Amino acid sequence: MKTSFHLITGKQGATWRRGVATVLASAAMSLAAPMVAWAQSYTLGTLFPMSGPNAEAGAIYTNAVDLALKHIAQDHWLKGTISVKPTDSLGTPQGGAVGMSRLVNVEKVPYALVGFTGVAKASAPIGDRAQVMMVNGGAVGPDLAKLSKYFWNIIPLANQEVEFLIPWLGEQKIKKIAIIYVDDPLGQGILSELKAGLPGVGSELVSSYSVAPELQQFSPIIARLRNDKPDAIYIASPNITQIAHIIKQVRDGGLNTQIITYGAANFPSISKLPESDGLIFTSQAADWGSDEPTMKRFVDEWRKNYGTEPTTYGLNYYNGALLYGYLVRGLEQAGKPVTGTNLLAELERVGHYALAGGEARFSDSTVTTAMQINRISKGVTEKVK
Amino acid sequence: MLFLQLLASGIQTGILYALTAAGFALIFGATRIFHVAHGATFIIAGYTYYELHQVGVWWPLATLAAFAMAIAFGVFMALYVYRPIQRSEGSFFTVFVAAFGASISVQSLVQYFFGRGSVMVSTPLTMAQETLPGLYLAPILAVSIVVAIIVFTCVHLFLDRRNAGLGLRALSESPGLLESFGLDSKRLTILAFVIGSALVVPAAIFTAVSIGIQPASGHRVMLISLAATIVGGIGSLRGAVLAGLVLGVIENLVITMVDTQWSEAVSFLVLFAFIMFRPNGLFGTAVKK
Amino acid sequence: MINYLFSILTLVMIYGIAASSLNVLVGYAGIFSVAHAIFFGIGAYAGAQFSLLVSSDILLSCLVGAATAGVFSLLLAIPALRVRGEYFVAAALGLQMVGVTVFSEAHALTGGHGGLVGIPPATLLGMDVSSPGLFLLVCAVMLAIILYLVRRLMRLSFGRALMSIRDNETAAESFGKNVPKLKTLAMFVGCAFAGVAGTLFAYNMMFVNVESFTFEQSILMLAMVVIGGVGTLSGPLIGAIVLLSLPALLSFIPFIPPTEIGTVQQFIYGALMTLLMIFRPSGIAGKL
Repeated sequence: MKTSFHLITGKQGATWRRGVATVLASAAMSLAAPMVAWAQSYTLGTLFPMSGPNAEAGAIYTNAVDLALKHIAQDHWLKGTISVKPTDSLGTPQGGAVGMSRLVNVEKVPYALVGFTGVAKASAPIGDRAQVMMVNGGAVGPDLAKLSKYFWNIIPLANQEVEFLIPWLGEQKIKKIAIIYVDDPLGQGILSELKAGLPGVGSELVSSYSVAPELQQFSPIIARLRNDKPDAIYIASPNITQIAHIIKQVRDGGLNTQIITYGAANFPSISKLPESDGLIFTSQAADWGSDEPTMKRFVDEWRKNYGTEPTTYGLNYYNGALLYGYLVRGLEQAGKPVTGTNLLAELERVGHYALAGGEARFSDSTVTTAMQINRISKGVTEKVK
Repeated sequence: MLFLQLLASGIQTGILYALTAAGFALIFGATRIFHVAHGATFIIAGYTYYELHQVGVWWPLATLAAFAMAIAFGVFMALYVYRPIQRSEGSFFTVFVAAFGASISVQSLVQYFFGRGSVMVSTPLTMAQETLPGLYLAPILAVSIVVAIIVFTCVHLFLDRRNAGLGLRALSESPGLLESFGLDSKRLTILAFVIGSALVVPAAIFTAVSIGIQPASGHRVMLISLAATIVGGIGSLRGAVLAGLVLGVIENLVITMVDTQWSEAVSFLVLFAFIMFRPNGLFGTAVKK
Repeated sequence: MINYLFSILTLVMIYGIAASSLNVLVGYAGIFSVAHAIFFGIGAYAGAQFSLLVSSDILLSCLVGAATAGVFSLLLAIPALRVRGEYFVAAALGLQMVGVTVFSEAHALTGGHGGLVGIPPATLLGMDVSSPGLFLLVCAVMLAIILYLVRRLMRLSFGRALMSIRDNETAAESFGKNVPKLKTLAMFVGCAFAGVAGTLFAYNMMFVNVESFTFEQSILMLAMVVIGGVGTLSGPLIGAIVLLSLPALLSFIPFIPPTEIGTVQQFIYGALMTLLMIFRPSGIAGKL
């Protein structure tokens, strides 16, 4: 209209312009108001062993989560911010139950990262009843696959680790295996996998010794091991310090038998122990030299911020926090509130995400990834298969 | 060979038990005080040695410091905890609870400043060598045996010959008699605590060196000392030492028969059995019902 | 916040019951048990298994827990009838240590180290009482019932006879009191009530494992009784309140790192035990 053109320009247009500007501004603000209200705080619960024999794991996991949240903020994935609600599981099942109870009843988190088999098993029913999503990045007990529909494992479980190990044992002609294990879900899981799989490659489990998780004195067991003359000794304990103790005492006792364990050997208490030279362990595969952008950023920033080499545990918890970011973003975009039930629905709806290390497909509470076998040589961990 | 090997590790464990039990039994036999804070003495000695070792102190000095701290703690308990209680009403219950409280406090203090995890002093003494075909012994075993023999001989001579030693033996039975002989029962009590606490120190150091110690170790030490004292017979130092050795050996040999998880519980089953069927223990005086 | 308060109060109620039950043994009967956590545990496992296998009715579960713990009290009664003083303490210690190993190994009954998981929500006559507020109410009512029972028992001749044994066993015998029978009954009652506390504990945590029934736990219960006041009705409850509110209070002190709160709590009650024994052996609520 001729009028509107005149209205917009020129001195008479000034008042009009001001009026329009005001109307537009208030319209913008009233539209932005719900968006501002939307820029809220999301909470991420963590249930890690911050004290006790596994405290070093808690520290590494926490660092991983912090790094992921930093990247999520840097990349502006979300309108809101994520804050962490940390609790100390003490690395024990009871600590886990108490901690999870606190996370769901008091902190009311919709998503929690957990670790350690006994802890996970004890806390899962509590999270399940409260309909909170739980993601495990470190525990490997096989029955973690069936705990609850809200419980997801981002780490391959021990049955995958042992399944991968057994053919290699056959190739290496390691026939007689003795196992020292803690009689908890992790130890039982590994024991049953070995029992079931070893005969298939012509090997056997010659002896098994169950120990209490706090036991430190292994000389009677070592005496019996000497008698058993195994080709390899497998250690299946949930306590990092206990594994280190066993390794040291076995070597101190003059036994030079090959020692094998699972992914926990990634922790410095074990990998940096002088007596661990020659230790073989299985873990998920991780190509630290990869050029894939998410992985490269994870590795570079980990080295820069924390001054140490990254481990698969750090990677998993980084991914665990990243997953939360993805899910929240999805819910934000759909305008849905962030609750455990909605997060679960979102995960089931999408089913795959690009995490550090590649694309991960989620189904049936587990994730399938590649595995590898490592050996510690002169303090350095190298891939063997 | 397996049997010999287990016997060797049983003797190693047994010596540690015998030393701590002897300390507890001496104190209890002489003063009738149920010094359950004995485990705290163990922790104090062990951590003193460890911390000094970490900062590079020469081991004989660290050992002396451990002795000093252990004895200081024992005497502190005697003077500032047990004596006031005994002056007011001194029931068994009160002493026990007070000693327990002290033990817990010490454990928490150590935990707060030094962490909950176990610490170990590394030494080549724990490396085992094949002495006989199939029998692996570490030098620490020989060291423990020698030290134990020396320590027990000294204590025995002291109790047998020296006046103060005789006084200690009389203290529990007839304190009144002591006074008439010019011996001060208060001083003798302190002496009992000094010797009793000192006995713990070699055990603490050997444990720190071989399997490591942690704040919670004190409880276990105290329980074993108690078990050995009762099994050996209250009032008999010899009995406590022998019982400590026997419990250590049993604990190791038993895994040939039962699953490994039961090895620690076996000592307590033995204790329970003795209390039920032979409360006097091996060498003790008859129990008043 | 309100849920947090409810959860602390619930624990106070549960441990109040446990401490009161220990008081029956220690305070009234003079039986110095350091194995009480084992009976707490027996009640917890029994109640938990009952809820997993039969019914999650809280009343029935508590009865099962009480009965099982009561029956096992015989294990403690046998040494109590034979020896006294230090010997009995040693026997109780033995029972505690062996009990822990049994709890860790008896997979079928206790789930071993992993424990019994996924205990169903508590119900009462078909109604769900597992919400924090309702469950607190259930525990408070249980506590009130048990305190009432203890008070009645102690007022009866049974109670007076018990206390005469505590004060001087030989004299009591000479007065014709049937000491063994009285002691056994007292232990049954005390252990049964501990079993009730254990069952409530299991429902509260939705999980039980051996870590809640260790020697340290027995000592914690003993500390509650002693600090609160041995042989008094309110003493154990006061002890429970003091000791359980410590961690919450301590979390407000800025310079204590959160991972060390448990340690500081332990130090405080250890020191309290010792100091009280020196200066006020009858505890906070006790008569001087």
